[in-house]
Amino acid sequence: MRRGRAIVYATALEILGEPLALLVLLASLALTTLAPAFHYHQFGEPSRMARDAGISALLLGGSVIAYVGTLRTFRRELESGTAQSALAHSVSRTAFFLWKACGCLVAYVVFAATVSLVSLTVVRGAEIGGALAATTGDIARLWGPSLAVALGACILPVVAAALLNRFKRFRFALTSNVLALVVAALGVAYRFDGALASRLLPAFALAAAPSLVVMSASAAFALRFSSNTASTLTAIATAFVLPALGNYCLSDALADGGSVPWAYLAVAFMAVVPAVALFLLIGIHFINERDVQ
Amino acid sequence: MNGDSVISIEGATKTFRDFWLRPTVNAVDGLSLEVRKGEVFGLLGPNGSGKSTTIKLILGLLAPTLGRISVFGLSPRAVAARAKIGYLPELSYLHPFLTARETIMYYAGLCNLSRSVAAERTRELLKMVKLEDVSNRVVSGFSKGMARRVALASALVGKPELLILDEPTSGLDPVSTKEVKTLVKALAKNGMTVLMTSHLLADAEDVCDRVMILDRGKSVAEGRVAELGESLEEFFLAKVGNADEFVLADFLA
Repeated sequence: MRRGRAIVYATALEILGEPLALLVLLASLALTTLAPAFHYHQFGEPSRMARDAGISALLLGGSVIAYVGTLRTFRRELESGTAQSALAHSVSRTAFFLWKACGCLVAYVVFAATVSLVSLTVVRGAEIGGALAATTGDIARLWGPSLAVALGACILPVVAAALLNRFKRFRFALTSNVLALVVAALGVAYRFDGALASRLLPAFALAAAPSLVVMSASAAFALRFSSNTASTLTAIATAFVLPALGNYCLSDALADGGSVPWAYLAVAFMAVVPAVALFLLIGIHFINERDVQ
Repeated sequence: MNGDSVISIEGATKTFRDFWLRPTVNAVDGLSLEVRKGEVFGLLGPNGSGKSTTIKLILGLLAPTLGRISVFGLSPRAVAARAKIGYLPELSYLHPFLTARETIMYYAGLCNLSRSVAAERTRELLKMVKLEDVSNRVVSGFSKGMARRVALASALVGKPELLILDEPTSGLDPVSTKEVKTLVKALAKNGMTVLMTSHLLADAEDVCDRVMILDRGKSVAEGRVAELGESLEEFFLAKVGNADEFVLADFLA
């Protein structure tokens, strides 16, 4: 367990410390928080726009974090020689691979949790603000809260992290990522809506599912192939799994106060779990067969 | 293999292959050696002679094409065997995003040390390698010599019974080089077995009990340093030649 903790910690630190991870997070949060303010409320459905933006950000940004983060950390480990230093210690190759994959998962969970929590806050704000704007005709009631959340979720953590980096030598990207999660959690806790959370969380989980497949495929192929070949193989492998998940319209399910049925979520994960297990087994085979140098 | 044997290699061959599995090079060719408990054993040889490949075979990082290797009587891939080994690679190979302290703590974790023991040993080792003042700086900003010292501390954090040093003085200034040699002697005096490679024959002459000279993956000489003649350098040049010097002389003429 101590070995696992060391590997998970180092891997998550590496991925969350990447400037790219922070950029993807900020882009995802900006898309989500500012969606209700786009063209003010001319589309008439600010909360739906916020919700769909959050799900899109989770799907697209999450895939980037899962794919780039995982591929880079495994390739770097092999190419820079740190894998040989680690595997010269008393850790088995299989354990090293699985714990490292867990580290990638932790980094992904930080991203996904931040985007999901911010989405909940923005949707809640848009619902309240939209209703007020409709009755009073004051559109500031709509985009005011939206901009406030954008400021809190995107700018505040970055500014605080910059100050901590300047005066306390904290890692900038890592601190920004963690502070964004803390702010997002505080935002949800401030005005928690249980009904909204139980309605949207299954949808967020469904949007996150393909990233798990992308992550495990990247991890496995990075052990055997160059970055370019591993990328191609990951894309092909994911394309085989995604159609099973893509025949479902999330927007339709969530329209008019609906939700994704838990049964459907279970079916989706019944497709995802074997795919993830298969790629992890391929990864275990690759790491045990290869020379590490 | 006798009871004192820590490393035993019998007829090991390592052939590297390309993508189509065609053999490209025989990095190690029918090598046999034995390292006994408590001795400092030096693997010497010119570049490309197979020293680092031999070490990676001993660590289980490479699988031998032929032959048998055992470390503490176990397969090199056995976790129990590697639990007793500390390894300093030829290049320092550190995670650039970790601080010096986090790097040593990381390897302490891989050695399965508890958090309190790991923290205590990290503090001691940082003091030993004189990096206490910069322990909270990320290693990407370190000089080659500082990175080398972090790597050396990481190799020692598990208090290994066998220490494998691949070019331990590479990148170190003369003072640090002397300190490393003194450290190796002290560790050997305390009963630790040391296997080291070096290009610098003076290093081997100073600290090794026995040496093996490799050339093109094969052993060309083995014995106690004192038995190999008055000057290890002369013996080495006689065995593996100094082709570079002749080529350069021809070019300059």
